[in-house]
Amino acid sequence: MGHRKEKDEYLENLWYMREHQTEVLTELQAKMNGQYVQERMDELVSEGLVDLDLAGGKVRLSVEGEKHARRLVRAHRLAERLIHDAFGDNFESGACEFEHIMNLEIIDSICTVLGHPKECPHGLPIPPGDCCTRSAEMAHSAVIPLTKLKIGEEARIAYVNCANDERLHKIDTLQIRPGSVIKLQQTYPTYVVECEGTHVALGEELASSISVWRSSDSSVDASAASSAGVGYGRRQGKGRGWGHGLRRRLGLCRKEN
Amino acid sequence: MKSAQPQKVSTKIFIVGLPNTGKSQVYNNLTGGYNLVGNYPFTTVEPIRGRCRIRNHDCEVVDTPGLHSLLAHSEDEAEVRRLIFREKPDVIVQCIDANRLKQSLVLTADLIDLGLPLVISLNAVDETTRQGIYIDSKELSRMLGVTVVESVATQGIGSRELAEAIFRAGTGKPLKCQPRVTGAIEEVTGGIPDTTPFRRLIARLLMLKDPYLFNDLQKDSDGSAWVSGVQDLSAQVTGRFNGGFAWDVNRSRSGWIDEMTGKVVRRHQVALKGLSQTFADATRHPLFGVFILMGILLGMYYLVVNVANNLAGWMDAALWVPVHARLDTWIGPGIVNEFLIGDYGILSLGIANAFLTVLPILSVFFLAFNVLEDIGYIPNLCVLTRRIFEKVGLSGSAVMPLVLGFGCKTMATLTTKSLRSQRERYIAIYLIAFAIPCAAQMGLNMSILGHIGVQAFAIAFGVLAGTEIAAGMILNQILAKEACVDYIQELPRMRMPDAAAILKKTYFRLKSFLDESVMVFVYAAAGLFVADKIGLLGGLKVVVQPVIVGFLGLPLEMVDALILCMARHEAAAALIIDLVGSGKLNNIQCIVAVTLTTMFVPCMANIAAMIKELGLKSALLMTLYINMSAFLIAGTLNWVLIWGRL
Repeated sequence: MGHRKEKDEYLENLWYMREHQTEVLTELQAKMNGQYVQERMDELVSEGLVDLDLAGGKVRLSVEGEKHARRLVRAHRLAERLIHDAFGDNFESGACEFEHIMNLEIIDSICTVLGHPKECPHGLPIPPGDCCTRSAEMAHSAVIPLTKLKIGEEARIAYVNCANDERLHKIDTLQIRPGSVIKLQQTYPTYVVECEGTHVALGEELASSISVWRSSDSSVDASAASSAGVGYGRRQGKGRGWGHGLRRRLGLCRKEN
Repeated sequence: MKSAQPQKVSTKIFIVGLPNTGKSQVYNNLTGGYNLVGNYPFTTVEPIRGRCRIRNHDCEVVDTPGLHSLLAHSEDEAEVRRLIFREKPDVIVQCIDANRLKQSLVLTADLIDLGLPLVISLNAVDETTRQGIYIDSKELSRMLGVTVVESVATQGIGSRELAEAIFRAGTGKPLKCQPRVTGAIEEVTGGIPDTTPFRRLIARLLMLKDPYLFNDLQKDSDGSAWVSGVQDLSAQVTGRFNGGFAWDVNRSRSGWIDEMTGKVVRRHQVALKGLSQTFADATRHPLFGVFILMGILLGMYYLVVNVANNLAGWMDAALWVPVHARLDTWIGPGIVNEFLIGDYGILSLGIANAFLTVLPILSVFFLAFNVLEDIGYIPNLCVLTRRIFEKVGLSGSAVMPLVLGFGCKTMATLTTKSLRSQRERYIAIYLIAFAIPCAAQMGLNMSILGHIGVQAFAIAFGVLAGTEIAAGMILNQILAKEACVDYIQELPRMRMPDAAAILKKTYFRLKSFLDESVMVFVYAAAGLFVADKIGLLGGLKVVVQPVIVGFLGLPLEMVDALILCMARHEAAAALIIDLVGSGKLNNIQCIVAVTLTTMFVPCMANIAAMIKELGLKSALLMTLYINMSAFLIAGTLNWVLIWGRL
């Protein structure tokens, strides 16, 4: 089991290539940024994780490899959601390290706390786990869809499921993005929210693609933050930011004391 | 700009900004001209140009339709970008609504990337100050590297400073992305020839998969090979980000915006929810909102019936009756008499109708309508009515143009450019042209039906609303389905109406009505007069009698009204008012006449806008369908009403 982390990279890239139907060897080599080593590939083949057709230049995950890759990708994309969006931090390497360590239970509990997100921040699908089908566990989620808020309630946006780039740009220009405080004003006949000083009407689909921190969990300083695009929408500096509630839940706060 | 002979060099100034940020107001302040201003998005749908002299420089000022960023989401935004790329303005003035600083900075980042001199007009600072929010414009200016002028455009405060700043404008400091992103953009920029302006921006927009740019570039470069080359390069480079390039770019920009606002914005007190906000919430509320809408409609109805109709009656009695009598005796009977003051006289049917019947009604109605526009009521109607329109296949983005149709159908047709879906565009243009009365038509309809009573008004508008929904549902069934587009719509802040601004706007609306239509009234009257004299009109009436009298149950005089309708709807309405006054139309006929003329032939300007948006063939076919439906529906209504009364 040498070079595990390195081999995981191959499996992850193959998963991505499967999603985009570009399962050719040259593409994999390009994706590995010049760090492609044939020896690793041979090992993966002999472990039965990858099917390689050298003559045809085709390469793809085996059934067993798919299982493995699915777990890796799920962990990676959940970790991205957690670190980039939910915590609002920007440690690039964080998600990459996560996927190798975590066991299934931790992954599922992160998934639950985050309200079973369907996509990673880049808009790629997160393969669902067992916890997602048992969605009764929503009660333990720290993150809920915007549509579950009460009218007049304020919450901080945890993440937005962006099915496409167009949606991402549209709502990002209106400052509906992780960290902004959003207030649900009305649900019928149309969703109306207040975000960064502007009132915005949203269709149902768009409204339910926005996920927010459950108010008891987030340290929203509601009165100070919303009501103006000129407000302090986001946490300033370090310290007990708005991810604090979540960190406490996950037991990640010890260092802060 | 620093030419020794400033007269010869014209400085081109572009005013750009998010929708509803006061661009037209700034344009008016700079040029001293008048471009319609309003508290709703899409007030300006086509670029407006004006010339003026600022500090002894000859300037060309261009007021542009609103856009959120240079990455185009719809055809109208793409058009503004094309304009900027093509004309390369000497200075760009970005209007920022101080209430929406963060949202505006998204566009600022893009404008700085253009590398053109930029000035920022920070509008509505009075509103933020009242809320206890202080924006440090000096610090903002320092961080952006461009001049920021605080202003209250509606009162002209800051105009002089803005004019000064335009001639000191410099290029701003671009935002820095992560090195990985910057490197990727550089790489794609390398694929664009050096001579192409705005290379870096073009590279970034291509990498963000702008839906219009590739085609535009191909058109501009006559299909040069580099365009597809750079497109492939862009796909290849962004592919390395595993689909996350857009996300990384947005992330850098969000960080930049947060850093900026964190340093620049100070809040002194917690703002209380103002009265206007409570009202705004109520107008969107599913229950109160409907009551408010009903109240507004009824209020306008009674205003027109009680004030405008009386005003028109009084003006007619005081100004026309004595003149008519004097002319009559002075000229004596004969053809001259008929030509001037007969049934089709250019003075009676032309001038008197325009000034004494239509003008007073429009003055009162526009005054009320402009108040609604300026407080920011109109877009809230979208929230209320979206569900209904969803049933007819409109996803919500199309509701705004439809609602704007109640103002001016021509403008509304042009705003359909903001819709991504061709299908929705077609449905929206159809529905706008069909049974929606524009502000002028609405005011006149109210005036006509006011002679009978409010129930007549309810019947006529019930039928029009039903027609609209039925037409939408049929179109929805006929046209091929398309993927649903997200609905997202900014709602403007409710504002107290400003009397001076509203009077000014009403004045300009009435002036443009008079400029456009008085001569049309006169020509139409003259045309009818000639057609009558040579027997054409009589012949036509014999031919159409079965339809008009038999099917529609209307008197033959309505043929004149329908002909006038083709020239100008207001002229037809004025004739109907005359017919009602002389007792030639009973209640049922009145309702039928109003529904018919509301639907019959959209006005010429509207047809021209339809041709522009859809092409000649589609537009004419659409007009034909609409006219046929108009007759069918009005005829059916006639029989239903007669049957109902028995």
